[in-house]
Amino acid sequence: MYQRIDIISAKQVSIQQPLCEEWMTSPVVPSGQFVRAMDPDFRQFVTPGESRRLGKLLKRALATSLSALEEGGIRNPDAIITGTGFGSIENTELFLDALVREGEQMLKPTQFMQSTHNTASSLIGINTKSHGYNSTYSQKGLSFDSALYDAWLQFRLGKIGNALVGAHDEMSPVFSGFMTKAGHVMQGETCSEAAVSVLLEADSTKPSMCTLEDVRILNRPTNEELSQVLSQMKADVCMTGRSGNAGNDALYDFLGDDVPQCSYKPLFGVNFSSSAIGFYAAACSLKAGHVPSVLNGGRGDVPCNSILLVNVVGGRHYSFVLLKAICGR
Amino acid sequence: MAGRDSVLITGCGIICAIGQDRKQVLESLLATRTGVGPLRYLKTGHTEFPVGEVKMSDAEMESSMGIAPGTPTTRTALMGMMAMREALDQAGLTAADLPRTGFVDGTTVGGMDKSERYYLDFIGNDSRNEYIGTHDCGSCSEMIADRFGRFRFITTISTACSSAANAIELAADMIRLGEADIVVAGGSECITKFHLNGFNSLMILDHGQCRPFDRDRAGLNLGEGAAYVVLESRESALRRGVKPIAQLSGYGNACDAFHQTASSPDGEGAYLAMMKALADAGLEPADIDYINAHGTGTPNNDLSESQAMRRVFGDCMPPVSSTKSLTGHTTSASGSIEAVICILALENGFTPVNYAFENTDEGLVVPNMKLEPDRPLRHVLCNSFGFGGNDSSLVISNVSEN
Repeated sequence: MYQRIDIISAKQVSIQQPLCEEWMTSPVVPSGQFVRAMDPDFRQFVTPGESRRLGKLLKRALATSLSALEEGGIRNPDAIITGTGFGSIENTELFLDALVREGEQMLKPTQFMQSTHNTASSLIGINTKSHGYNSTYSQKGLSFDSALYDAWLQFRLGKIGNALVGAHDEMSPVFSGFMTKAGHVMQGETCSEAAVSVLLEADSTKPSMCTLEDVRILNRPTNEELSQVLSQMKADVCMTGRSGNAGNDALYDFLGDDVPQCSYKPLFGVNFSSSAIGFYAAACSLKAGHVPSVLNGGRGDVPCNSILLVNVVGGRHYSFVLLKAICGR
Repeated sequence: MAGRDSVLITGCGIICAIGQDRKQVLESLLATRTGVGPLRYLKTGHTEFPVGEVKMSDAEMESSMGIAPGTPTTRTALMGMMAMREALDQAGLTAADLPRTGFVDGTTVGGMDKSERYYLDFIGNDSRNEYIGTHDCGSCSEMIADRFGRFRFITTISTACSSAANAIELAADMIRLGEADIVVAGGSECITKFHLNGFNSLMILDHGQCRPFDRDRAGLNLGEGAAYVVLESRESALRRGVKPIAQLSGYGNACDAFHQTASSPDGEGAYLAMMKALADAGLEPADIDYINAHGTGTPNNDLSESQAMRRVFGDCMPPVSSTKSLTGHTTSASGSIEAVICILALENGFTPVNYAFENTDEGLVVPNMKLEPDRPLRHVLCNSFGFGGNDSSLVISNVSEN
């Protein structure tokens, strides 16, 4: 059995500069109700043919996955596990729109194929010729947390030595309106897009960003259950899903004010893959030895050796992920 | 960590084209009665395609579940509630047990039935906003769970047509690691215009009754339904004094890594999934007494799956059948619907028939055409393969085998 699970690489495409950590010092300040991601140059990840055929979510999933695998020095991961709230919603919308407005003729098979949620996981499998464990989760803003939980179980069962875990959500103008109407994005929040891939390896010999210590997910927990989790998962800093919206932020009041809290949503916006951004930002912070000031409302860097990620979805799903710096173990 | 003999099945529930509960489904299986027929409930212009619909309207299911008319629900959620109620009842679980019970659901279509009906309202006005929140996969699972109480944990797997099988695998991993004593797992999926047209655009729908493993097979018939199994640790079942109905002995998940919608010619993903499941169960191919094949009836799947089964079983091929010839292809729910069919076969000792098969194809396995009653089954294998090569296999065993 392994001694520790290392996070050996983490890559993002979001409304910040893609595939880099420029946001830690020079962030783009989001404004408006809906902001699209900044795409990298896809040419190094996909052929021109693929570029025409694949939707944005899939191109971003390939870009973050292939970059993470390359940096981690792993070609065929033992497991590929993805979270997505809506899947390739642009293709879904095109197919749905044509079906509703133009009727049941002349519908495009490519749009239908890409509307299926598991296309990212399977495309990465096809691209890297990986025949191992492959799965996809779709539970709103808990999708990444669910994928990470699955990887955590596979490691503990000894079924895998490494895992590529990701979360990918794209957004369209129409569906960003739906996000607001359904209450997934609230007053004062910016609806955004995110693609994140992280590579985990048991007892890695490669440089490690931090280690994964524990994952817990609860539905509608009691106050006693929440207190118990907090007493068992202590950290220097809590990285939460606070966004600036009062209703959303009140969901994190149970954390109290003993431990400093930072948040990623003001910088990266809100989407169903937001918590994957939180995980990525926490890993980058532990690698740097501090949470950068930009995640602390500009009030200065927060030195830390451990971070507890806390994600509350729809006021009912509570996810807790404990990460530790290599020197802090 | 608990051993491989630790995951018991203490309850199950099912609703599909051949029955609205276990009893009706068993009767249809024993009589080899297909539920595939002309469209009745879905409003579509594609009346040329036979389908395996659940023979209940949304209103009838709402009434059965005691849901007030006008409450926002989806057909996927309603079918899920019907199957969940039966599964919890059989396992003797009440609302008081749910705070220590997990729920792992599988769906892909989610609330698309309402989205395709109200899409123009979503865009143009605020009259149907309550249905926007029921569009995504996860909201269906929440609606199903909330009907019964407070489950400790809820998540949703969406790996297309293997969703429910993968949900059962995650649930079993949770039991083996002691993350939960009891986890309800499976899937639910209603037929929508969206995916009927999607499958039609891929030209894989048969215009007649589907014929899995037949030389002249011409595609699949879409079906719908839901099924859940209650997985429980041996200790918990003993403590509660409930009698297991079957045991989940092993399971495997592998990726074909070949094509987004086509299966590889040698069935590599299917082969790996079956081999992993057998190894996980500690069994040899000769120990398997029946295979419930994925067997969609498309030229591509049945060839690829036959190759994979031949690679695994060689000369000791057990009886094989695709019950999709009776239920239609219930897509994301097929993994759990067929797992429950396997449990019924184990409990009652018979091999379900591959309906509508006529002509042998040299490249394919010859499916089981004769229902043998009073045939004791020890272990059965249940295959579920999805778009993108998400292939999974379950080994379900008779409880007396341990």
